[in-house]
Amino acid sequence: MSAALGDEGVTVEARALTHRYGHRAVFERLSFSFRGPGIVAVRGPNGSGKSTLLRLLAGLLRPSSGESALTAGGRTIPPRERHRWIGYAAPDLAFYPELTALENLSFAAEARGLSSPAKRGRERLRKVGLEGRENERADALSSGMAQRLRLAFALLDDPPLLLLDEPGSHLDDEGRRSLASWIGDEGSRRLVMIATNDEREGALAGQRVELGSRGVGDPA
Amino acid sequence: MPASGSSSGRAVWAILRKECRSEWRTRYGLNAALLFAVTSLASTSFAVGRMSDRTDVLAALLWVVLLFAALASLAHTFVRETEGHTMTLLRLVATPTSIALGKLLFNLLFLISIELVTVPLFLIFMGAPAPRWGPLLAILGLGSLALGAGATLVAAIIAQTRGRGALFAGVSFPVLLPILAAAVSGTRAQWSGAPVTAELRLLAAYAVALLAASLLLYDHLWEDA
Repeated sequence: MSAALGDEGVTVEARALTHRYGHRAVFERLSFSFRGPGIVAVRGPNGSGKSTLLRLLAGLLRPSSGESALTAGGRTIPPRERHRWIGYAAPDLAFYPELTALENLSFAAEARGLSSPAKRGRERLRKVGLEGRENERADALSSGMAQRLRLAFALLDDPPLLLLDEPGSHLDDEGRRSLASWIGDEGSRRLVMIATNDEREGALAGQRVELGSRGVGDPA
Repeated sequence: MPASGSSSGRAVWAILRKECRSEWRTRYGLNAALLFAVTSLASTSFAVGRMSDRTDVLAALLWVVLLFAALASLAHTFVRETEGHTMTLLRLVATPTSIALGKLLFNLLFLISIELVTVPLFLIFMGAPAPRWGPLLAILGLGSLALGAGATLVAAIIAQTRGRGALFAGVSFPVLLPILAAAVSGTRAQWSGAPVTAELRLLAAYAVALLAASLLLYDHLWEDA
């Protein structure tokens, strides 16, 4: 059973969230609360912890201190179950090179217990402009196409929360234009958090998290 | 949605199928394991000839060949995911327990495949006496279960560490040694006509203990990948 849209809205919260790599604090005591639908831009210079924040919210990392919370349907989702409520696309997301694009998505859908995994995979590939590439091995895809495959993966479960880390990376101009339009559409249906320094993607956001020195707030 | 029993079962099944498909396409472990088994058996056979009267040596040799043939692949069960950067994908589609169970089932299938080829070749090349098939198959089955569970658990634990190769040998030695000892003893006993009940009990108990420890530990692994 998927955490489909149409459930009650999703809320993402950070409460005094701190993460350190060794002794170096990436960010400290970060707090925010965002409720979907909408678009939130996570911005900041390189090394400010944008990717780390998304991994924490996805439940892929454990914070050094503080906590993140995902509430959906009036219920707080434990970190180990978050994968069923989020769509995640990031540069560190790799696919099995020996499997085709469709096989990778079908595997992911099947493992999540979704119905008609192959059909669902084809639909998502079509949605991101990879129709006709279903049977190409993942290692034969260009970096731009691999990025589209990541976006297709993020949409697989029709999740109420999308976490997109540098979603426009490796895309050409046409791809970035399509992506901006696509993110705008998705933001009207679910909560989308984008880690980006791209002005076009950032401009779509109604709210933002500024990592570094300027704190958290709405766009200036 | 919390993972229900049925969706966890589907995740395990999906991971098992994915592992089989990946192995079939890449032959990452199978070719190396079969090459090792055939080469070591052929060279030993040429060197020492048939050893039908040395069932103690035969029993040890059989399990050493099986262990080393399988270990090259079993040790890399999770390392391949870490080094191929596909661990994030796995963790986004299934719980750690489902991932580990899927991997364990694949490792058991892998071990059985190796044994299907290696054991008949061993009996022919080494001139081993005709085995008592019931006890031998029971020893092979329970030995494989314990070996697969132990190797999968160790592979999961070391997957995120530096120096994984050296660590696997060091950590797996104390875990796998009791399995090898019981399996060798049981294999020798079935050739000598002695009962193998004690060895079977030991292997079964060890396999159950390893599986229980695995189910308790897997959910706490990989949180900081």
